[in-house]
Amino acid sequence: MKRRVLLLLTPMLLLLPELRVDPFRADLPCQWLHPLGTDALGRDGLLRLMHAASRSVGFASAVSLLALGGALPMALGEERFRGARSALRIVPPLLLLLSLAVALDGLGWMGLAFTLSALLALQAEPALRARLDPIRRAPVWSMARIQGAGMGHRLRVWAPWAYGEALPLLPSLWIAVLWDEGVLRLLGLGPPPTRDSLGLLLYEELPRLSTDGTMLGWASLVLVVALAAWSASKTSMEES
Amino acid sequence: MDPETLKPRSRGLWGHLLQGWVVWVLALGAAWTLPGRAILGREGRDVGVSALPLGLGIVAPSLVSMVALALVAPLLAWAMGSRLARHRGLALWEAPPGFFWAGLLLAIWPASAGPPGRLALVLVFLIAALPSELRWLCQAMPREEPFPAVWGRRAVRCCRSRTLRRLAPRWLAVRLPLWLTATVVLERILAVPALGSDWMARLAARDRIGLACWILALALLWTLMVRAEGLSSQEGP
Repeated sequence: MKRRVLLLLTPMLLLLPELRVDPFRADLPCQWLHPLGTDALGRDGLLRLMHAASRSVGFASAVSLLALGGALPMALGEERFRGARSALRIVPPLLLLLSLAVALDGLGWMGLAFTLSALLALQAEPALRARLDPIRRAPVWSMARIQGAGMGHRLRVWAPWAYGEALPLLPSLWIAVLWDEGVLRLLGLGPPPTRDSLGLLLYEELPRLSTDGTMLGWASLVLVVALAAWSASKTSMEES
Repeated sequence: MDPETLKPRSRGLWGHLLQGWVVWVLALGAAWTLPGRAILGREGRDVGVSALPLGLGIVAPSLVSMVALALVAPLLAWAMGSRLARHRGLALWEAPPGFFWAGLLLAIWPASAGPPGRLALVLVFLIAALPSELRWLCQAMPREEPFPAVWGRRAVRCCRSRTLRRLAPRWLAVRLPLWLTATVVLERILAVPALGSDWMARLAARDRIGLACWILALALLWTLMVRAEGLSSQEGP
């Protein structure tokens, strides 16, 4: 149910009212009309936070699904080039992403999505393989093929099972994408600052927090804590 | 150990190492052919000279952070045992990303005290990285109930010490790149020059020799990890 809610947050972006620039309402403090005040361009803080959160969450949902989709065929296939994969896996995805962003002077949304999903698919493959292997190595796996079933039939039989086995890995991939995107934009190395995301808000607000911190900066930090607590509760639920 | 059973495994190990080294050689090639001209630091000696010198001021904060973590995490894991891996408090501590702790420090840091220094970096790094390392170590430790728990505290401590001694080299090899990534993020947020920023600075400056050294260090780390894993799988349970 929670996963569906997360995926629904992306279309929510389309329902949110558009952010309007109003120079006459710039830097307003908290008030009833603007609970988180307004920024230097007169945009409502709460609306900015909602836009940023739904974009980050939507991006994380899309990329984690893409990563899981990439990891599944890898985990179902034969384990070729183990050494090469292991060498690639020792470098954390974030370090590779940061290096790519520095070498290419930033990464666009699409470039970030595909690179991150490929790197995370590589990282998720061993865990997924460990879940799939007990059945994949059992005689039942080859039974349909021996009985002459076609590719379509085998897909119909095994796809729901593979999907069910892969789904528990989704929350950890989701949170990894969320934080990686956040870090990249927080360090000013992510996609250009034309569209808000949680990382961009932190990039703008964090340096000001100790001097002239706005409610928007504190609310962004609180949102990070809330997302982290949700992920922790999800992890402990899975473990129990 | 039966030498006959060892042969195919060691052949597999060499194949594994060879494949990995192909990747590292490709990475070296990519670093060498990076677009853009190298920004060289010293006039007149610009060919073959590393652009950015690696001084003690850069190495020390990272080294202190990593040594502190490498000492504190096993010590705490030894004191708490494998039960700690299932502790809810640890999961909650582990959940926020590293940048949250750095952001929180920036938020509460008094502006009159100037920018946070190296000590703040070490502290934030420990707060951010310690829970994950504790979980890694505690999850890898064997269960203590019913044995050796029923044999008494001395037996439990002895068992933990032996396990941690065996785990430590592999733990260090696997987790060092992650620590490096964590320091990159924290150093940039807190504006403290250290080892992680050095990698990024060399990348931005197209310091090909420095990058090659970094890649070779990572390759060496990976080789040591594979060797340790290969040997432990040959030794058996």
